[in-house]
Amino acid sequence: MAQKLKETILNPILKGNPITVLVLGICSALAVTVQLKGALVMALSVIIVTGLSSLVCSLLRNTIPNRVRIIVQLVVVAMMVILVDQILKAGEGTYAIDKQLSVYIGLIITNCIVMGRIEAFALGNKPIPSLLDGLANGAGYGLILVIVAFFRELLGSGTLFGFQVLPDSYIPNNLVILPPFALILIGCIIWVHRAFDKDLQE
Amino acid sequence: MNTNSNVYTVIYTTVVVTIVAAVLAFVASKLGPAQNANAKAETLRQMMSAAGIKPTDELYATKNADILQLYADNIDEAYTIDLKGEKNGELGTAMENIQLVDKLKPQNKAIKAEGEVTLPVYVFKSGKVVILIYGAGLWGPVWGYIAFEHDCHTIAGAYFDHEGETPGLGAKIKDEPWFREKFAGKTVEWGEDPAFRLEKNAEATGATNAVDAITGATMTSKGLNEALNVWFKAYENHLGLGAFFNMLEEHAISETPNAEEE
Repeated sequence: MAQKLKETILNPILKGNPITVLVLGICSALAVTVQLKGALVMALSVIIVTGLSSLVCSLLRNTIPNRVRIIVQLVVVAMMVILVDQILKAGEGTYAIDKQLSVYIGLIITNCIVMGRIEAFALGNKPIPSLLDGLANGAGYGLILVIVAFFRELLGSGTLFGFQVLPDSYIPNNLVILPPFALILIGCIIWVHRAFDKDLQE
Repeated sequence: MNTNSNVYTVIYTTVVVTIVAAVLAFVASKLGPAQNANAKAETLRQMMSAAGIKPTDELYATKNADILQLYADNIDEAYTIDLKGEKNGELGTAMENIQLVDKLKPQNKAIKAEGEVTLPVYVFKSGKVVILIYGAGLWGPVWGYIAFEHDCHTIAGAYFDHEGETPGLGAKIKDEPWFREKFAGKTVEWGEDPAFRLEKNAEATGATNAVDAITGATMTSKGLNEALNVWFKAYENHLGLGAFFNMLEEHAISETPNAEEE
C-alpha cells in the first residue's frame, strides 16, 4: 500500500510528468513562464485546483450519472478555479500577481491535466489517493513551469524574482521572452528527461 | 439505485449546480469588499505615482489603508467634465468616488462617438492636475494617468498600465520606470493636431511634445499614442482653456515688473 502511494506521488513528477511525458498543459506553460513569481503562483494554483477537484470528484464518483460526468467534472473544476481566482484577487499581497497572470488563472479550467486526472484516476479511486494524485500532477506541472521560468527570467530580463542578478553589461535577450522560446526550452527539458530515463526511450 | 435514469440525472445536475452557485455567490459576496479595496488602492497608487506624491516603489510598499489616508491628505478637489470642458459632476474627495479602470472603456467609446462623458479630473493640493487616458494596446486595453503642472501645459509625471501587453516588450510601458519618466517635463500642445507624439524618432525632432516609441513594441506604442491623443482631445476644452488663462496670468505678472524697470 505504501509502495503504491509513493508511486502515485512520484510518478506524475518524474516518469509520467504531465508536461514532458504526456505533453499536457503546454499552453499556459508557454504563457506564464516569463517571470518566476508568476510561474510560482500559477504552479501553486494548479496544484490546489487539481488536488481539490480530484478529491471532490472522487467523493462523488459513485453518484455521478455516467452520461453527464464530464459536465459535472467541469462544474467542480470551474468552481475551484473561480475560488482560487477570487481569493488571489482579495489578498492584498497577491492582487498584483493575479493582475499579471490575468486570464491564465481562469484558463486553468481548460488545462487538460485537471480533467485528465479526474477522468483517468479520481473516478476509479478512493478520495485520499485521488487527492494525492491530483496534487502530485499539479506539482509535476509546476516543477517544469518553475524550471522554464527560471531560465526565461534569467536570460530574458537578467533578474530572478524581480531582483537583478546578471550585471548591467548583459543585454536581455528578447527572443527568450517570447512564447516560442518556452517551447524550445520545454523541448530541451524533454530531451534531457528522456536521455536520463531509459524507460521513456522509444 | 439507477444512476443513469433521466430523473436522477436531472435532479443530480440541478443539485450540484445549485450548491456550486451558492458557494460561489457566498465567496464572492464575502471577498467583494476586499477585492474592491485592492482595485481602488491600485488606482490611487498609480495616480499618486503620476502626481509625484511619493516614489512608485514606496507607494507599492504602502498598505491599502495608508494609501487611502495619503490620498485624502493630498487631494484638493476631484470632479468630472464633459466634452465641452464644463463640469458635470463632483467626484468628491472620498474613497467611494474613485473611478476604476472598468469605467473608462465606455467613456472611450463615448468620446469617439462624441456622446455623454464624465471625464475625471483630480486636482492635488500641490497644484498638479491628474487626468486619465485609455485605449487599445496590442492584446488588451492600455490606460494611464497623466499629471500636469499647475499651468496645465507641462507634464509633471505619468503612469501607464495595461492588461496583457507582451512582457519585456509592450509591458515596458509599465515595468520600465525610464519610459514614464521620459514624460516629465514634456508639454501637451493644446489645439495642435496631434497634441502629443509617441512615435519613432520623435525626440530627435526637438519638439517638447514628443517621446520616442518603444523599440519592439510598435503596436503598444501606437495604441498608447492614440489613447493619449484621443483623451487629450477630449480634455482639451477644459485643460487647454485653463492653460491659456494660466499663460495670460503669467504674462500679466511677469510683464508688470519689467515695465517698471524700463
